[in-house]
Amino acid sequence: MKRILLILLFCQATVFAQDDLLQLLGDDSNYKISSTFKGVKIVNGQSVELVSKGDLLFLIQHRFGPLNSGAYNLYGLDNSQVRFGLDYGVNDWVSVGLGRSSFLKTIDANTKIKLVGQSKGEEAFPFSLVWYSSVFFKQAIWEDMQAESYVMSDQMSYAHQFLVARKMNSNLSVQLSPTVVHKNVVTEGNAHDLFSVGLGARHKLTSRISVNAECFLQLNEDKNINPLSVGVDIETGGHVFQLHLSNSAAMFERAFIHETNGSWLDGDIYFGFNISRVFTLAK
Amino acid sequence: MNKIITIILFFFITNIQAQQYLTKKAEISFFSKAPIEDISAVNTKVSAVYDDETKQLVFQLNISDFIFPKPLMQEHFNENYLESDKFPKSSFSGIVGDINENLTAKGTLKIHGVPNEVEVKGSLEKTNDSVIINATFIIKLKDYKIKIPRVVMYNIAEEIEVTIKAKLKKI
Repeated sequence: MKRILLILLFCQATVFAQDDLLQLLGDDSNYKISSTFKGVKIVNGQSVELVSKGDLLFLIQHRFGPLNSGAYNLYGLDNSQVRFGLDYGVNDWVSVGLGRSSFLKTIDANTKIKLVGQSKGEEAFPFSLVWYSSVFFKQAIWEDMQAESYVMSDQMSYAHQFLVARKMNSNLSVQLSPTVVHKNVVTEGNAHDLFSVGLGARHKLTSRISVNAECFLQLNEDKNINPLSVGVDIETGGHVFQLHLSNSAAMFERAFIHETNGSWLDGDIYFGFNISRVFTLAK
Repeated sequence: MNKIITIILFFFITNIQAQQYLTKKAEISFFSKAPIEDISAVNTKVSAVYDDETKQLVFQLNISDFIFPKPLMQEHFNENYLESDKFPKSSFSGIVGDINENLTAKGTLKIHGVPNEVEVKGSLEKTNDSVIINATFIIKLKDYKIKIPRVVMYNIAEEIEVTIKAKLKKI
């Protein structure tokens, strides 16, 4: 009996020793969840992705005319709007950007701040939280500029967003984007502050191709149509191509959230693309 | 009964006295030379344990701890090649052969979820309270089912040189 006990004890001891070796390594892994979205934009709206530290991102956004403009306009391809943008990663959690849209000849300057990144492990956090602020300056000339009361700041408007995103699994990411847009000048009876909430998602089909969708719901003033966009992201190394269909032709927050007039049901659908190229400046 | 207690104590003691060495700051780097771009990355948060009695050696690392000179390379490494979401860890578990200047470690190397039996040559140096392990070896991407799309074939070499530098402390 004693012998059996001894044998059993010996077995236990050796097993314990082997387990111990692996246990010593511990499982103190804390992974940051990266690549919630492929690009810094889902379609028109910002994603929680920032340009990496020391990287310069050149973004060309292009929207053709509406599909329902007929064969005479080659279903919108004869007309186009464009936005050029440059974004630079100051460090791992701040990026700054500058852009110019042909729509109302608008310049935008923006900053994006990563507050918390999603992570799992010991110090797990279920979401990525990003703050985004942008200033828009309209260069387009309009009649009010002749008025005596006109000041330069009449040309300006602002957008602030609190982006909350979660990568549900390696393929599916979702985002909620509460947004406020402030206009310095509005026509009578319209609010200066416009609230909306954006919903975005992307689903990866392969490691390089994903489908994206995005919409914004206007909360306090819904005189215009809510924008809805669907697209495909194709990544080819240094470039990301985003092809999409949207009922909004504009490419900055004030315009695409609150100044969309086209309806999907009426065929006011704009084909467009974003092309981004990353240049690594810092060594 | 006394005997049993003595034996239990004996095992307990040998267990504590087992010559085990540990680090959580070993360094593993890799390098590949390709016509357009050399690719390199380093991971300085590698865990390693060595048991001098059983000659068992274990390495473990998080794929996402590899740091690249270009952030975009790092993103592609995690997202497209190593798929660190699905396969967050890589490990080696094996037995060290005769200890001298040039030793051989035989065991299982698991990368990208694919285990392979490997034999790695290196050196193991023992001092009073530590063990220093150095090794350099070549791995083939296709052995670990790491796919390179045809478009970027010329950017990435099929073979990668891996270098290990570890200093394990007695525990």
